[in-house]
Amino acid sequence: MTTSGLPLLSIVTFLPLVGALVVALTKSSQPNQARYVAFGFAVATWVVSLVMLTQFVTTTPGTQFGESASWIPAFGINYKVGADGLSLVLVVLTTTLSAISILASFLPIQNRVKEYMISFLILEVGMTGVFVAQDLFLFYIFWEVVLVPMYLIIGIWGGKNRIYATIKFVLYTLVGSLLMLVAILATAYTFASSQGGSWTNAFDLQTLIAFAGAGHLNGTFGILAFGAFALAFAIKVPMFPFHTWLPDAHVEAPTAGSVILAGVLLKLGGYGFIRFALPLFPEAAHWWAPLIIVLSLIGIIYGAIVALVQPDLKKLVAYSSVSHMGFVTLGIFAFNQQALQGAILQMVNHGLITGALFLLVGVIYERTHDRTIAKMGGLGSATPVYAAAFGFFVFASVGLPGLSGFVGEFLTLLGTFAAIPAAAVVATFVMILAAGYLLWMFQRVAFGELSEFLKGLGDHLVDMKPIEAMTLVPLGVLVVVFGLFPGLILEVISGSVNATLAAVQQAAPIALGLLR
Amino acid sequence: MNFSDVTAMAPFIAAILVAGAVILVDFAWPGRKTAALATTFAGLAVVALLTVLVGQAGSTAFNGSYKVDALTTFLDLLFIAISALTMAFAPDYLGERGLPVAEFASVLLFAMSGAMLIAGSADLIVLFLGLELMVLPGYLLAGYHKTDGFSTEGAIKYFLLGSFSSAIFLFGIAFLFGMTGSTRIDAIYGNLKQVVDGTAPFSPALGLGLAFLTTGVAFKIAAVPFHYWTPDAYQGSPTPVTGYLSVGPKVGAFALIIRLFAGALLPMAPQWNIVIIVLAALTMTLGNLVALTQDNVKRMLAYSSIAHTGYMLVGFAAFAAGQMRGLEGLLFYGAAYAFMNLGAFAVIAALQRKTGITSNLSTFAGLVRREPALAWLMFLFLLSLTGIPPTAGFFGKLYIITAAVQAGTANPWLNVLAILAVMNAAAAAFYYLRVVVYMFMREPDGEIAANSHGRLVWGGLAVTTVLTIVLGLFPGLLLDLVSTAAKAVIH
Repeated sequence: MTTSGLPLLSIVTFLPLVGALVVALTKSSQPNQARYVAFGFAVATWVVSLVMLTQFVTTTPGTQFGESASWIPAFGINYKVGADGLSLVLVVLTTTLSAISILASFLPIQNRVKEYMISFLILEVGMTGVFVAQDLFLFYIFWEVVLVPMYLIIGIWGGKNRIYATIKFVLYTLVGSLLMLVAILATAYTFASSQGGSWTNAFDLQTLIAFAGAGHLNGTFGILAFGAFALAFAIKVPMFPFHTWLPDAHVEAPTAGSVILAGVLLKLGGYGFIRFALPLFPEAAHWWAPLIIVLSLIGIIYGAIVALVQPDLKKLVAYSSVSHMGFVTLGIFAFNQQALQGAILQMVNHGLITGALFLLVGVIYERTHDRTIAKMGGLGSATPVYAAAFGFFVFASVGLPGLSGFVGEFLTLLGTFAAIPAAAVVATFVMILAAGYLLWMFQRVAFGELSEFLKGLGDHLVDMKPIEAMTLVPLGVLVVVFGLFPGLILEVISGSVNATLAAVQQAAPIALGLLR
Repeated sequence: MNFSDVTAMAPFIAAILVAGAVILVDFAWPGRKTAALATTFAGLAVVALLTVLVGQAGSTAFNGSYKVDALTTFLDLLFIAISALTMAFAPDYLGERGLPVAEFASVLLFAMSGAMLIAGSADLIVLFLGLELMVLPGYLLAGYHKTDGFSTEGAIKYFLLGSFSSAIFLFGIAFLFGMTGSTRIDAIYGNLKQVVDGTAPFSPALGLGLAFLTTGVAFKIAAVPFHYWTPDAYQGSPTPVTGYLSVGPKVGAFALIIRLFAGALLPMAPQWNIVIIVLAALTMTLGNLVALTQDNVKRMLAYSSIAHTGYMLVGFAAFAAGQMRGLEGLLFYGAAYAFMNLGAFAVIAALQRKTGITSNLSTFAGLVRREPALAWLMFLFLLSLTGIPPTAGFFGKLYIITAAVQAGTANPWLNVLAILAVMNAAAAAFYYLRVVVYMFMREPDGEIAANSHGRLVWGGLAVTTVLTIVLGLFPGLLLDLVSTAAKAVIH
């Protein structure tokens, strides 16, 4: 329990839901009411998450802030939440990006503001819930809850092709998650039948991990169940070849939607691997690892190459996500400490940096209503503040030492090199490619003469507005802080990393035997 | 006949009396909708009360040919709820078209009493009487808009195929009687057990009887490939009737399946379950695939109701493979499906209140601007039909899939069904969400004025909405009921 005695995790999860209800009471004719209420609740949630961060004890193993209540006893389902370091870091990332996204929506969203804010707050409930759920059923509920508001956000407030994009997003996600549901039920049933048919705690994550640790979820069952979990997570990450929904969704989503999509939704996949797939099916994880590593490498290379030739700013950032998220899965499946630490850092940093890049693309889109790189040019002279901010985050994304992007990729590569040298070598070369597509894009956008297209905008082409700057500054600060002091995150997640590795490495010898 | 017979059958008798009373009230105060409606709802309340009271005692009537157990009570209450909701949604729609409300109520109540008879039958003759009493008023309701050609066409198709399948079913009963020497469900069970144990001879005619019975009920629940009557009957019927037809007779037919197959024919489950499994797979897959291509929402929901039949059959197949959870899941799903589907049809009926408005997708274009409340409610019902948490539809699917996974250890085909079911749920998301796309993400084609809706409609929608959410968030409320109801079937 927490020192304050309050159910902080439930508060941080459901405060946005309260916010959504309050927003629902505001007048549709007064969009500012909805905006301020939503932002107020998002900030309050963010504050609660920071309070939790201060109360978190890094030396305590396992989860903290635990709460548990019986929910559906006949199925052994509990409302059980808890957070370890990994959960907490991602919760704070979620609350931070949610508040920023809501702020970033003040100007661009002028239509049906109330519904938009409600959707966004419910989205936050789902995302936070996924990170804190300690019961597989509860986790699945939150996992699906995320889907609905995102579907609306892309479908209602998105671009021209939004309906195609949003349906593709939903169907891809749904196929993966429904198969995962079958795997969850099968896992719970396997546990229940080993207990003589008693379903008590059959969905409880810690109980099931202990059950798995005793080797009960190995063999063919584990391989199939891991496959179903992994498919759901691979679609979310997204791993090649399940990534095709991502560029569409990103391009059509409104700016804030893209920020959350890249910043948090993709992390749900990485988190799922670390929290559920690996500890529940450690032996199967080893069995599947070669395939996943190959797919990660393909994703890293493919994303980078495709990003290189993108004519559209947003699409370029979207494909760079595919490439960057490949490092996450690569790091997770290298099965060693450095790589896993790197993967988690990469998740956080990608959230911050790519989130900021999407915000920046949104800023220019607000002025130009166009994202074609070829039409840009010379923004450095016309809008110097904007160009400087853009440059900063581009360098962070490239992995400039001193900024946070570097640390995650470096640790991932270091760890991967120890485990699978060839994979690390390939991935390292792609970092050069990344520098290529990002810097080339930045050069075309910021340097040179102001393009004819931009000149034609006249007075519309103003530099950053204060409200836009306000959304970017916190991200910039965090990028620098985590770049210089990655230990801040590493300390918090160390317990989670060790626990995950302990679960996975225990199964390694058996799994290697299987492979031979 | 003695007094205990009357008490056991009191809810059924009361339902018949209420149906008659509604007509008498209409004679006394012709055209006074309010009087007829008040009689209907008060009568339904009395029937519900009697059901609960009688259900607590648990008794039999007429030498054991009618039986009140937990399953009877559960199903009766469900039928009463379905009828009450239908009566809440229908008057607006009927009134606008000049169709009499009192007769509608009366016919509906007769159908309900038929379903109640099925739920309590312990004898095949009673079962058949209940079936006919349930479906005959259904034909009337389907053709209730008698000046509408489509309504008449749908009713005739429904009637012809319905009578045809009743005859097949009756034929099956005859064979079963011939081979086992009894129409009593207990006796048939005992006899078949001997056949399975090898102490009584197996005759091919028994297999023939099984085939007839299976075919007959497959027609009634509209399982593929016996579903052809459904889309026309559903699309042609007045919309509130469609809502009722897609729920009432369907749950009623499942009650029949439970009483017949789980009650009488259980010893031969290994023989007939493979048929159920094939029917389930075909029904959910084909229902969904065809629904994908529909542009008319009513017709789309007709096909989707076929798919839902398939999901429920998965639960029944899991039960036949030895998992009680399959039957519990079927009952839970039946209730969840009833509320969410009635809700969805209520929204369509409300949109079509003014004559001349089609149920095509175009009617739904930009609905969130025209009638935001209806659009959001429809969204909820569609999410529940898709099986997205936290809704009743989700937990229903979860229940059935859990049962299928459990049964998968005994019969691997159930594992296949479980995976097929979730893949179907994903495919179904496409056409359900298509309606959402029209409601929320498209502009209306032309100007359609917003309708006003009566208090009854809003009240009914509130009930279906609350139940759809509450049964999703706290399914535990219903779990005890369905589990005792399911246990009542077992000998």
